[in-house]
Parts: sequence; structure tokens; C-alpha cells
Amino acid sequence: MSERRPYVRAQPRDWWARKPYLGYTLRELTGVGVVVYGGILLAGLISLARGPEAFEGFRSFLTSPLSLLIHLLLLAVMIWHVVTWFQTMPKTMPKLIANGRHVPQQKLTLAGVGIAAVCSAALIAAFLIAGALP
Amino acid sequence: MSEVPTSEIMERTKTIELRVLRYRPVSDHEPVFQAYQVPYSDDMSVLQVLQSVKDTQDGTLSFRWSCRMAICGSCGMMINGDPRLACNTFVRDLAPNPVTVEPLRNFPIERDLVVTVGDFVKKIESIYPYIIPKTPKSIEAGEYLQTPAQMAAYESFSDCINCMLCYAACPQFGANPDFIGPGAMALLQRYNGDSRDGGQQLRLDSIAGEDGVWSCTAVGVCSDACPKQVDPANAVNQNKTKSALDFFLRFIRPKDQGAGAKS
Amino acid sequence: MTPHPNPRRSMAPIFWLMFGAGGMLSALFGPALIVLTGIMLPFGLGVPGGFGDYSHVLRFAQNPLGKLIVLAVIALFFWHGAERIFLTLKDMRAGALPILRLATYGVAAVLTLVTLALLLEIGF
Repeated sequence: MSERRPYVRAQPRDWWARKPYLGYTLRELTGVGVVVYGGILLAGLISLARGPEAFEGFRSFLTSPLSLLIHLLLLAVMIWHVVTWFQTMPKTMPKLIANGRHVPQQKLTLAGVGIAAVCSAALIAAFLIAGALP
Repeated sequence: MSEVPTSEIMERTKTIELRVLRYRPVSDHEPVFQAYQVPYSDDMSVLQVLQSVKDTQDGTLSFRWSCRMAICGSCGMMINGDPRLACNTFVRDLAPNPVTVEPLRNFPIERDLVVTVGDFVKKIESIYPYIIPKTPKSIEAGEYLQTPAQMAAYESFSDCINCMLCYAACPQFGANPDFIGPGAMALLQRYNGDSRDGGQQLRLDSIAGEDGVWSCTAVGVCSDACPKQVDPANAVNQNKTKSALDFFLRFIRPKDQGAGAKS
Repeated sequence: MTPHPNPRRSMAPIFWLMFGAGGMLSALFGPALIVLTGIMLPFGLGVPGGFGDYSHVLRFAQNPLGKLIVLAVIALFFWHGAERIFLTLKDMRAGALPILRLATYGVAAVLTLVTLALLLEIGF
């Protein structure tokens, strides 16, 4: 007669808020920022489709202090997305070997963040250049 | 770090409080903490302190252990809330505060610090944990040759000691006990990444389901918990990429390849 | 429980790849887009005031390549967020999975169609 009676401890409902999981949850929540910004772009598209008056209304909202605050918050969230994205991305690739040694994941993260900085800088530069042309 | 004299047994002049989660299936309705005051010296691991309790204070305390040197994978448990090997965790790093010891998280408790391992073993068995030769050779034809670079491609995944700390760390395994999990995926990648092996499609098909790689959300704490730097998070997530590509590429794959997951 | 040797294939790869595409797009260009559309263009910093004009933006959105860019950015940003929010709500056990999927993937699908419809409505 077996005396076994295995006891199952329930996973705490708030595990995602406790260490070491809170960092992961905050990383995932940057997706909310991406969605909110997408929503702003969609709002712009909707007002564009509704005509000049609606679009001017959207443009004047963009010059408000509230819009500026929202965009600065979104920028902070987006930058955190960039950093955590390239921290996670190397996990999805087979280990790279360069010069006979494994490439540490931190190097790939640094390279990724660097490329992202270059891409964003290039996009802004393109607008600045276009703006400077006659 | 204190000096450890090698020529004499250190005198145990200090005392640590150990709070151990006890569970005796015959007599206990549910687990309950029991505290022990244990003399210790700076060279002692948590495993040695547990052994001291069992030898001198309470012979009913049950826990798994074997090698005492972080290679057998037996003594995994939660120490101050973190999944650790007891033989590899030192009291001097935790003292003077009380040390909380609980059985490995996310597993059913058999008794005291002993958890049910059975499902983990079944998972390891399910991913074809052996070389399926790409081009079979007879013994007379000689060995399968492999360059150092080819071995480096899978070597870290072969370092797994089946200690299950990664399963204790993984919250998605905690939420879904049928998730194949980081340890089994590390073993899978050990074989899929081996140049001698030709069973990649077979193993890929076995983890293409919701309980395969797709329960993973890249939390990453499994690799942090691993005492052997196996990097199971990499094993799981690089197979997400492979599985996702296979999801679409299977339509142009030659028909006779792979056992085929049910579409 | 012994894992099934030939499990039913998950549909997750579809959403995971869109999550990945949206994540990469937003990682590479997201900060610049926010700075451009939220700060530079509205306040005319570094770009002439006319850049954000209705007629100018309309011409961009009427251009086929412009349409593709707008659709890709908006849709992929929504699908990226949908996957992440779905999985986070699942972690938090916020509700039954079919409801969570509707609230995330469902909304992303609707908004993608809305974007496409609007882009077609403003013509070429």
C-alpha cells in the first residue's frame, strides 16, 4: 500500500510581479507603448481620410503640451523596448562562432542597439536633409 | 572571503537558523516550516548543514544528494527563494540571516525536500535523446569524425546535469506542467546541433505543439538559474525560430522527410 | 504524463513571426518615428512647416509605397503589441484564453482592416 500523497503547491497569482519576474513583465509591457503609438498614427490616418479640417484638428492636438508629454513617455518606453529587444533577440539565434570562440550575447545586444541607433538617426537625418533642400 | 584551513576541521563557532519546509504525507495535511539552529563553519555548504541536522538533530529530515560537487544534479532546492544546488550554496554567503529551504518550485512534493521527478524523465525520453546517424556507418568503417568547431556547436547543451533548477525557475512550466521545458529542450538541441545526427526534423516535429517550444515566452530565468552555463533559454528560443520557419517551409519540403506533426 | 510524439501543430508561429517583425521594425525605427511625428513635425523643428500639411501628408499616403509603409508600420505595431499583451494577460490569468485572444488578436485584426480600408479610401 503506497504512502505517497504528493502535495502540489499552487503557483502564486502574482508571480509576474515578484522577483525575478518583474523585469520580464516590464519588458513585455513595452508592447503597450508600441500599440499606443500605433494608435496615434491610426488616429492621424483617420483624420486624414476625413478631410482637411479633421486633419488640422489632429495637427493642433500634436502641438499641445499633453501630446508632447505622451510622446516623451512613449519615447522612453520605446527606448526601453529597443534595449530589451536586443537583449532577448540573441536567445533566438544559434550561438555564433567568430575566430574560433563563441560570440557572447552581450556583444550581439550592443551591436543590435547600435544598429537601431543608426537606423533611427538615419531616418531623422533624411527628414532634416529633405527639409534643408529648396 | 574567509581563509579555509585545509589541515584541520574548522571549529563551528557560529549558529545559523535553518527554516525548512517539511511535509510528511502520512501525518501532515500540508507542508509546514520547521526551524533548526545549526552550528556551522565558513567552509560549509547548505547541503552540509542539512546533513548536520539529519545526523545530529532530526533524522526524519529527507533530501536528495550524492556527489557534493555540483555534477550529479540531485540536491536542487529553493534556498531563500532561489533555485540552487545545496552543495553549491555556501552558508557564509547567506549568514547571519535565517536561511529558508524549500523543495524545488513547480514540482509536487513527495516528502520534505524530495520532489516528484517522473514527468521530467518522461520529457527527456520523448525528444529522442540519442544520435540518429545522418549516414549510418558500420563499426568496421570506423568512427564518426567531428571537428572541434562542430563539437563547440552543441557542447554547452551537453553539460546539462538534469538538476531541474531551470524548471523551478520557469514560470511558464509553473503555469503549464505539460510544457516540455528548458532542460529537455537543451538535450534536444544537444542532439539537433550534433553534426553526426540526422534526426532534426523528427525532434522539431515533437516540439511543434503548444506544450513544445510555444509555451515559452522568453522569460530567460532558466539560463540564470543553470549551475552549468548550459543556456537552456537559447536552446528553447532558437528552436522557436526553427519551428516557426518549419511551419511555413514544410509545404515545400520533400514529402518523405520527418514523421510529421499533425497539421 | 508522457509527451505526445506527434503533437497537434500550434498556430503560434504566425503570431510569433508578426510579433518579431513588428518588434524589429519598432526597435529600429520606433524612436525616430516618435521624435518625428510627435516633436519635430508638429513644432516644425528641422523640417519646414509645410511638411506636416494636409496636402503633403495626403500625397504621401496616396503614393503606393507610402501606403505600404503606413500599413506596415501601423499593422505590425498592433500585431507586435497584441501578442505581447495577450501573453502578459495570460501570465496574469486575466481571463479565459478565447476572450483574451479576441481582445488582442481580434482587435489587431480589425484595426489592420480599418487601416487598409482608410488607405484605399483616400485613393491614389
